Amino acid sequence: MSVFGGLLRDALTFCQSSMLMCTRHFSTGSCARIRMHAIPKPKEVDRWTEKRSMFGVYDNIGILGDFRAHPKDLIKGPVWLKGFQGNELQRLIRKKQMVGDRMMTEDRHNLEKRIRFLYRRFNRYGKHR
Amino acid sequence: MFRATVSICGRTVVKRLISSVSGESALPSNLRLPSNLIGVPREKRPPPSGCEHPVLHRCEADIPAHLAPSQTWLHSLGSHDSEPLGVVDLHPDVFSVPVRLDILHAVEVWQRNFQRISHAKVKSRAEVSGGGRKPWKQKGSGRARHGSIRAPQWRGGGVSHGPRGPTSYYYMLPMKVRVQGLKIALTSKLAQDYLHIVDTLDIPTPDPNYLLDLIKHRQWGDSVLIVDVNEEFSENMLKATDNLKTVNVIPAIGLNVHSMLKHESLILTLETVKFLEKKLLWHDVRYTPLYPFKLPYSDLP
Repeated sequence: MSVFGGLLRDALTFCQSSMLMCTRHFSTGSCARIRMHAIPKPKEVDRWTEKRSMFGVYDNIGILGDFRAHPKDLIKGPVWLKGFQGNELQRLIRKKQMVGDRMMTEDRHNLEKRIRFLYRRFNRYGKHR
Repeated sequence: MFRATVSICGRTVVKRLISSVSGESALPSNLRLPSNLIGVPREKRPPPSGCEHPVLHRCEADIPAHLAPSQTWLHSLGSHDSEPLGVVDLHPDVFSVPVRLDILHAVEVWQRNFQRISHAKVKSRAEVSGGGRKPWKQKGSGRARHGSIRAPQWRGGGVSHGPRGPTSYYYMLPMKVRVQGLKIALTSKLAQDYLHIVDTLDIPTPDPNYLLDLIKHRQWGDSVLIVDVNEEFSENMLKATDNLKTVNVIPAIGLNVHSMLKHESLILTLETVKFLEKKLLWHDVRYTPLYPFKLPYSDLP
């Protein structure tokens, strides 16, 4: 019985070694190579453009300039967002108050729909109401 | 505790062994400069000490008794290689404050973000054109049930949780934090030898190469920020810095932490130093505002 088991084991090892000898240890195909022409070039960024080198100038205009101006006066953007931060509903309400009467009809209608939807969502549904 | 001490003892023993075995300099390997390094190391002129040099400017404000003014050289931009004219006193409560990197970081992040308005916006299902009608009846067609062709799961439908409208990231740090950030930036520039004081900004020629040669000769760094109090600069200076990208001139009102960190070295005139000391020291002794400083106060100018 033990001799039989040993014979079986020898056969197994012989099969395994022959299997190993049968596999190729090199690849003849081109799928394993790195494709150099597909690697994109890093984009060249100029760190010293006018905008980048003058960024942040006059941010301390209040402290160093006798408080005649405030840094929020420097912000460039929509009128209802200068010096204001809020969530979406607060921003939309402020937009409607400040700019609503000069908006186009479709935009105004969408704004009102969105305000109605957000009011209901924040004040009626969910955990935080 | 015991394990920490054992590891530290082990490390020092190993260091001593290495230095004794190798026989080279006792610097650890990460501090040793390679011998083939390109570039001239900056020669630090020793800071003025002793009474041989004339002190050309004393601080106007009172200095606390336990602090001493820090001193630097006063240069001139007149000629290419001129000796410093003398020594200047700088107020310690502006130019040698304890360097709080967290305040510096907070001020820098504030400067980046408070002006930011992102205009990213996508249409929700209510705003996309069309989609009012139910595409097919609820039951009987064999297809999935739908209410509109512009629902988010449809191709061409609205986005349910996308960026909504121009968003602003505005906030303000307390005034004293911003003031302290300026003081810390000035202190670190002085401590790292990147602050230079000049009497006036008059240059003999409007040639940009003159400035570049001067900066290279005096080893002031790659990028230079020049600050003056008056808003009218000399024509030569304006013409010289017009086309230069890394050399920039700003008035003293425009001084800020981001520009100081972006440019390698900072050049102030004497007038600017007086102006900055006056403005920044006032915040240490002022009362808290009952109404914004923009409105008139009887005792403020």
